Amino acid sequence: MSESLSRRCCQTMTPENLLVRPRPTQKCTTGCPVLDRCLGGGIPCRSVTEVVGESGCGKTQLCLQLLLSAQLPPSRGGLSASSLYLHSEFPLPLRRLHQLSRARPFGPGHDPLEGIFVHPLQSVDHLLDVMPKVESFVENFKSQFPVRLIVIDSIAALFRSEFDNNPLDLRRRSSMFFKISGKLKLLAEKFDLAVVVTNQVVDLVAPNEGINGLRIGNLGCLVSSGRRVCAALGLAWANCVNLRLFLSRDKEIVSTMNGVGDECGCEPMHCRTRRRLHLLFAPHIPDTSCEYVITREGFSGVCR
Amino acid sequence: MEVGRLPISAALKGKLVSAGYTSLSLLSSLSPSHLARDLNISENEALDILKHAPLDGRIDTSSGHHVINGAQTAWDMLHEEELLTRITTSSVDIDNILGGGISCREVTEIGGVPGIGKTQLGIQLAVNVQLPVHCGGLGGKAIYIDTEGSFMVERVLQIAEACRDDMSANNALSQNVHAGQVGMQPKDFLENILYFRVCSYAEQIALINYLDKFMSEHKDVKIIIIDSITFHFRQDFEDMALRTRLLSGMALKLMKLAKKFCLAVVLLNQVTTKFAEGSFQLTLALGDSWSHACTNRIILYWNGNERYAYIDKSPSLRSASAPYAVTARGIRNNVSNCKRIKLM
Repeated sequence: MSESLSRRCCQTMTPENLLVRPRPTQKCTTGCPVLDRCLGGGIPCRSVTEVVGESGCGKTQLCLQLLLSAQLPPSRGGLSASSLYLHSEFPLPLRRLHQLSRARPFGPGHDPLEGIFVHPLQSVDHLLDVMPKVESFVENFKSQFPVRLIVIDSIAALFRSEFDNNPLDLRRRSSMFFKISGKLKLLAEKFDLAVVVTNQVVDLVAPNEGINGLRIGNLGCLVSSGRRVCAALGLAWANCVNLRLFLSRDKEIVSTMNGVGDECGCEPMHCRTRRRLHLLFAPHIPDTSCEYVITREGFSGVCR
Repeated sequence: MEVGRLPISAALKGKLVSAGYTSLSLLSSLSPSHLARDLNISENEALDILKHAPLDGRIDTSSGHHVINGAQTAWDMLHEEELLTRITTSSVDIDNILGGGISCREVTEIGGVPGIGKTQLGIQLAVNVQLPVHCGGLGGKAIYIDTEGSFMVERVLQIAEACRDDMSANNALSQNVHAGQVGMQPKDFLENILYFRVCSYAEQIALINYLDKFMSEHKDVKIIIIDSITFHFRQDFEDMALRTRLLSGMALKLMKLAKKFCLAVVLLNQVTTKFAEGSFQLTLALGDSWSHACTNRIILYWNGNERYAYIDKSPSLRSASAPYAVTARGIRNNVSNCKRIKLM
C-alpha cells in the first residue's frame, strides 16, 4: 500500500493519475469490540469522522482512546501508527491518557505517550496556518510508526467563538468549512489516515422538524439529557464530513429496592447515566446505535 | 468523387482534388479568399466554385445527408429516443416516476441532505449499469468521480453481491440461462467501475476536460457519476462570477459527453438553505444559474421516517414523488418489510 502511495506522490499530476483502483478501507479500532461491531470495524481511514455530543458525554474520552488504539498493530485492529491531537477547547488531559494507557496491553519498552503529538489551536485562521505544517510534518515524519490519525477536538469551539450571526459572516464561515474539510480530506487521501473531529450540539427550538423544517440524518433519535438537540455548525458543515456519530446521555432513575417503597414513602433512589452512541450517517454501514459506558479503563460498548 | 459533379471546368476540378478538397462538405464553411489562396486561383473563380458547392450539397440532403453536420430532424430524434434504454435505480417506485430509470444522453442531478442516500444511489447506479439490458442495465462500465471520499469498496461489494443474487433469481424464474453463460461475479462489478479520486477543483475541471479523450478510448462506459459536483466549488471562491463561469463550462462539457457517447451523466449535489419569501427554504447548492445546467433534477428528502425522491425539474416527466428505502442490499422499494432489514 505504501508503495502505491509513494508512486502517486512522485508522479506529476495528470488526469490519468486520478484513475485509481479503489482500495479497501482500513479501519482503526476503537479499542472495544462492541463499538467496533457497531461501526463496521472501527474508524475508517481516508474519511472524516465527526463525533457530536453535548459536553460531558465522552467525546474527548473516545478521542483519547483512539489516540492509543491507533498504536496497536494491525493484527489487533490498530494502524500501528502515531497520531496528532489538535486541541482548541482544553489541553490534552495527560493524566487521564496515562491512566488509559496503563489499562491497555502495550508491551514493555513501548510508551504509547511517545507516539502522540499535540498542538493547540487558537482560531480558524490558526488552523488554516497549521495545515501546511501538519502536511509537511506527516510527510517527513520518518519512524516505524507513521502518523495515521489526526484528531481535532473540537472544531465547533473554533467557529462558534469567531463568527457573527449575519449573512456575510455565515457565508464566510461555510466557505471556511469547505476549505478546512477539503484540506483534511486531501491529507486523509494522500497519507491514508483517519481524521476525527469533535463537534458540539445546539438546542432545537422548532416543534417537530429540524431548524427551519429541514432534517439532517435521522433527527428522531437526537435527544440528549432530555433536550432535543442537533449538531452545531449547521447544514453546510454536515456536508463536509463522511461519517457522523452522535453521543447522547440520559439520566435514568433506578430504585435500589426493586421498586418496593420505604415505609416513610421516600424511596432510596439513585441516578444512573445511560449513554448511547448513534451512527447518524455513514456511506458504508446502516444507521445503528449502541449503549456505552465510560469507566476507568476507558470508553466501551455494552452488549444488550 | 463528389467534386467531379460540380459544373466547373476540369482544370479547376483538378486543382480542387490536388489540394485535397474531395468532398463537398469540406467546401461548405470556406471563404472565397481562403479557397483562392489554397488553390492558387483568382478570388472570382473561387467564388464561382463556392456558388455551386452549397447548391449541390443541398441536393444531397434528400438522400439522407444533413445540411449541417450533427443536425437531425425531430422525427429522427423521436425514433432514437424510443430506442434509448434506461438504467434502473433498483427501486420500482422511483423507476416508475422516472419513466423507467435514469435516462441516457441526459444530465441528471440528484440532491439531498447529508445521510439521505445520495452516495448509495450513486453506487447503486454504478453497479446497475453493468446489468444486461433485460435486467434493467446497459451492460456497460461506469466512471465514478469521487470528490468527497465517501466511496467505500466494502459497500460496493455488498450492493454488487445483492445485485448478483437478484439477477440469478431473475434468471431462474424466466428459465433463460444459457448453458455457457456464467453470471457476473461481485469482483467483475468492481472491475467495471473506473474510480477517479479528485482532491481539488482544478483536478475536477482537468478530469472533465480529459474525459472526452478517455471516453473515445473506453466506448463501453455508459454512465458517469460525480459524487459530488459541489464539494470543491463551495470552498474559497472569492470571485463568484468566475465560479459560475467554470461551472457552466463544466456543465456544457458534461452535456456534450452525454450526447456524443450516448451515456447517462449523474451529478450528485448538496443542499443549502436559501432565504426566500421571508423564510428559509432548502434548495440545491451552487445557485440559480447552475439550475439551468442539468436536464433533470431529483431531490431526495425525508418525510417523517421515510425517504422520498421528488422530480423537481424535467422536460419530459411530470413532477412526482416516490418513497424509497436504503437497505443493506442497496436502494430498494419502501415496503414494510424493508424496515426489518434496516434494523439489522
